[in-house]
Amino acid sequence: MKRNLLILFVFFKFFLSCISLHAQTNENIWFDGLSRSYFARDAIDKSVRDDTLSVKSTSNGYSMLDLNTHVNPIKNMEIFAQLRIRNSFGSFFGSGTQVNVRQLKAKGIINNKIRFSIGDLFLKQSKFTLYNYDDEILRDENDILKAYRDIINYENFYTENRWRLHGIQTDFSFKFDRFVRNVGFDFFITRPSGSRQINETTYSSDLLFSGSSIFSQINKRISLFGNYVNLFEEESSGTKNISVRNPVYDFSMLYHFGSNKYRVEQKIQTGFSRRYWLHSDLENDMLDYTSNDTKGMYFEFNNKYLKNDSTLFLTIGYRYVDPNFRSAGAQTRRLDYFSNRNTIYPFYTNMSLIRPSSTFDLISDEQLYNQNLSSVLMNFNPIYSNILPYGDATPNRNGVYFNGLINNKKKIFVAKFNASFYSEVIGQGTSEKRNFTLFKGNFKINFHQLLNLENEFILSASSVSEYTKRGGKEISSLNLFSHQMNVSANVELVKKLFVQVSYNQISAFGNEFLTQRDNFGNINYFTSVQIDQKDHLLSSGLLYKIRDNVYANIQYNLWGMKFADQPYLDYNYNRFILILSVKL
Amino acid sequence: MWGGSSFSQDTVNKPTTFSSNILSFKNPSSSISFTGYYRFLGFIRNQKETFPNNSGKTLVISSGDAYREPMFLLKINGKTRDNITFGADLMFNSLYKGPSEDFTQDLTLNLGLNLSTSVITNHGKFNFKAGGVSWYRQSRLTVWGNKSFNRISIFERRPQTPLNQIPINRYSKYYNSGLIDQGVRYGSRAFQGLFFQASRLPYNFNIKGVIGKSNFNRSIIEKGDNFTGSFQIKISPSADLQFAYNHLYSWADTDSLSEDRRGYFINTFELEKKWNKIQVQLEMGIGKYSDPIRSLGYGESILLNIKTAKSTKVPLNLQLYRVSPQFVNVTGNFLNTTILEVFPNVEGVGTTVRTPYQSPMVGLGFPVNNRQGISINTDVILGKLKLNGGIGIFAEIDTSYAALSYIHNINGQTLSRIYVFAQEWGPYNALNSTYRGIFETVNISDTTSSGLANFKKFFNTIEFQAKYNNKIFGKNYYIFSLMRLNTCQKKINLIPQIGTQTLISQLSTEIDFSVELSEKAALVLSYGIEKVLGNSSTDVGDSPEATSTNTFFESLGLDNFYRYTNSRNQKNTLFGFGLDYKIGQNAMVFFRHNQYRYFDPNFIENHLKGRESILEIKINF
Repeated sequence: MKRNLLILFVFFKFFLSCISLHAQTNENIWFDGLSRSYFARDAIDKSVRDDTLSVKSTSNGYSMLDLNTHVNPIKNMEIFAQLRIRNSFGSFFGSGTQVNVRQLKAKGIINNKIRFSIGDLFLKQSKFTLYNYDDEILRDENDILKAYRDIINYENFYTENRWRLHGIQTDFSFKFDRFVRNVGFDFFITRPSGSRQINETTYSSDLLFSGSSIFSQINKRISLFGNYVNLFEEESSGTKNISVRNPVYDFSMLYHFGSNKYRVEQKIQTGFSRRYWLHSDLENDMLDYTSNDTKGMYFEFNNKYLKNDSTLFLTIGYRYVDPNFRSAGAQTRRLDYFSNRNTIYPFYTNMSLIRPSSTFDLISDEQLYNQNLSSVLMNFNPIYSNILPYGDATPNRNGVYFNGLINNKKKIFVAKFNASFYSEVIGQGTSEKRNFTLFKGNFKINFHQLLNLENEFILSASSVSEYTKRGGKEISSLNLFSHQMNVSANVELVKKLFVQVSYNQISAFGNEFLTQRDNFGNINYFTSVQIDQKDHLLSSGLLYKIRDNVYANIQYNLWGMKFADQPYLDYNYNRFILILSVKL
Repeated sequence: MWGGSSFSQDTVNKPTTFSSNILSFKNPSSSISFTGYYRFLGFIRNQKETFPNNSGKTLVISSGDAYREPMFLLKINGKTRDNITFGADLMFNSLYKGPSEDFTQDLTLNLGLNLSTSVITNHGKFNFKAGGVSWYRQSRLTVWGNKSFNRISIFERRPQTPLNQIPINRYSKYYNSGLIDQGVRYGSRAFQGLFFQASRLPYNFNIKGVIGKSNFNRSIIEKGDNFTGSFQIKISPSADLQFAYNHLYSWADTDSLSEDRRGYFINTFELEKKWNKIQVQLEMGIGKYSDPIRSLGYGESILLNIKTAKSTKVPLNLQLYRVSPQFVNVTGNFLNTTILEVFPNVEGVGTTVRTPYQSPMVGLGFPVNNRQGISINTDVILGKLKLNGGIGIFAEIDTSYAALSYIHNINGQTLSRIYVFAQEWGPYNALNSTYRGIFETVNISDTTSSGLANFKKFFNTIEFQAKYNNKIFGKNYYIFSLMRLNTCQKKINLIPQIGTQTLISQLSTEIDFSVELSEKAALVLSYGIEKVLGNSSTDVGDSPEATSTNTFFESLGLDNFYRYTNSRNQKNTLFGFGLDYKIGQNAMVFFRHNQYRYFDPNFIENHLKGRESILEIKINF
């Protein structure tokens, strides 16, 4: 009822006030948004012989319109509502239809000084306090998979590594004419998860997430940052007498210098966290107490060299993250394939086994992704990312890294590389520590620049290798190697029409120990796993691109997984997909 | 993921001062307009006689259209700077039953949302459309629907009926042109998918097509594969000559493993040629149907229409058709009577659209497969009296179900409103509700060992309409009279016969009278009567005694004009009056009240009687 009232309110408030008026003719109300038509047909590959229970082919699709309505009732004030209208493909006359409010917020500037936002916020702070790290799948340079990437990012509100949160935020700054140049302040408080009824008598507590930042540019070369976030449950809003607290403090100093040819940036960043559960309102007048209390710190020193003509970027750095450093805002993972099941063929074989996720699932299935902050470390799959599963904020890591980017002045080629060497700070389940080696590289060649062609002709390739090793006794030693590679080509046949082809492969072999954690994030078991698998995805298609966010894409995907000496059975599937995406 | 680090606030648009929140910039990119209508429909039905299985509730008070029509339709029409148009039609309904959450209606879409764009080049214009439901029309044998009705009673209104400048115009237009345009959906079929159209191509070629889904021929599971694709290639060498090739293919998985498939395809050729006074339209083709149980093989179809110009003294329209039983299609302009399974039975995708499929008795201009026939229509103007009529003879090509079905001409909407979109209902499970109509099935006892009718059925139809306009006290009034006679028998007859040799005869007469009360008001009156008689080869009623087919002639003692029967002896009557009133620009009120009766003395439980009142307020914007 409330939802319907809200939808009706949005309509009557925003739409009916401008009936028959074009948006541009009414300066106070304007529109943008996104519309998408999506159709996918999935089929079991003919080579699969051991699955006669699954449907051989299945199709689904939808059309949807996200209509963003911006209302500017007064100067420096905006009310924003995003209304989603969705219609399933194949459903006629109102069935399979969804109409709901996807975002609603108000923002503005008070007295031309204090900026504020209420409602749907997209927040980011430092990489150790609040940061939505990219997932670990290699696809950045692959244009044919862009349509999938766009959908996953859009549907999960992933934008600029920010987390979408509901709450209120404000920021303001002061400028000075002596001692310091300026000082800025930023505050927010949000509710990642509201209280909900668990059963007739039990309610969960509201989970809140607050933060503040102070930023100051001391002089031309030195800037200082201070960040604080806290994830906490407000126990009185529920019926449970246990609530989490996770404050994180972050400090950094940036120093830079350079000339008209180059620029050098040096950054030193450190901070610490605490996480514990508070037991309160206890029976028999017991005093409040805490449990599972952990404290941890981190430190990073980073040096960047940038050529001003953008042809060379180099970074070298050192990072230490304590095993007990916990930061929900920075360590929550996007990929959550252990909680969510694959949308396409979730079961396979004649034994109806749960199908393990493949690269293609991670690339294409937006349902495997997470939007909620987690107070404990989420599980990860060592095949896809064993070294930095929680990004730079991954706990229990100590090491150095090198990054580089080389760009040709004529834009004929771009190459990136990254090498990282880490080890654990303490061993897990043994005194021996894991050692990690990461090599990543990719390059892109613009043949049309090289050959002076009018139409685009781009070849790109990328590779990521992760090597994990732990010595010691045979029972606790491990050796895991995983390698992701991707090759793709984009050829513009006629203006705006591209032929695209790409091949992705992930192979992993060796052994690892998967950690099992209890509800408070404590490791309570290690499961030894043998890994030997190959994951492949071959894609080919056509793209008609009007603009970056306005395109029609048809593609065919052939994908599957091969296991050797594993309890799983191989599988192969294929997909035909049509995506029409229009940014309004 | 890169193993290095970057500044936490590195964003594309680097803010000059720190903010944890994203910054946005005003960038209106789309123009949007809104159109639609508000249509209140208050409805009261008071039943005096009900079916015995009625719940006991005899009075219905409701608001809103029972046929899933919006009370408030808000159409969003937009255009991006890339010349891509998008649209969605939101449907708001309210039961007006109080504030309880149980009576809250979800906001939903009427049809869906669509994206479309046009690309104009030196070689032609190319249109593309994708998204929700769109109305598509191609050729009579492939994708087609009747756009306008010219032989109906226009007492009842439809939601899509446009508002006229003044109320009496609705009746004057019907008098003058003989057509009531009911909107684009009546001329086309609902499809979802990718639509394309290429026009103004070199050598006067035109191409159009769709690949997607219709609401027919669906899989039993929602995500099962089922598609219908269709395209047309048309060439127009001159203004009075056109050729076209049409193809339609439809298939659906019929099991949960996608092992089995039901499908049919159609290839047709079209010719349209105009001479000075004569126009010839021809479409002929072959089709094939198969499913896991049967393969019907190839079947042929031909539709021929020869029309003389309206300017001739007695304009004629000769229609000839033959559609073989193997020629199966549900989206064309003919009824499918061969394959029941192509009608969907998947909730939400068209359980509501099952048309009569057991040897339907239909009016002129409605071809049926497994049937061939000829009809001729003409019209004459005698001063202010306009007469038009037609006669048709049709025959089954092969024997079919041991059943018949007929569409009620009188009280069709009234009866369908009692149990909306229900199949096989009523005390004898013979009634089937469709969209604003109802048909009834009749069983035939003369069958073969396989259960089919032991004979081929022959059908006769006569339709006659008279229209008259004059003035009374300086105000226009219109009288429309429509008589229809449909019969089905075992032998061919040139003209319809009513008697014991006729399996089912259906005779109906409707008279509508409308008068202009003022520029803003029009009064309408309607009377309709329908008689349906069956013979001894059809269902026998449960009344112990035979009844007279005409009590009036029986009372006069005219024995030659009536007979006694135990079979169907239905009489349907309707008397109604109404008022159309203009309350403002694009706003009108329509009131209708009718008294109905559906009665058969031989089928004693077939007795319905009552009154209906409908108040409609429609405001366009």
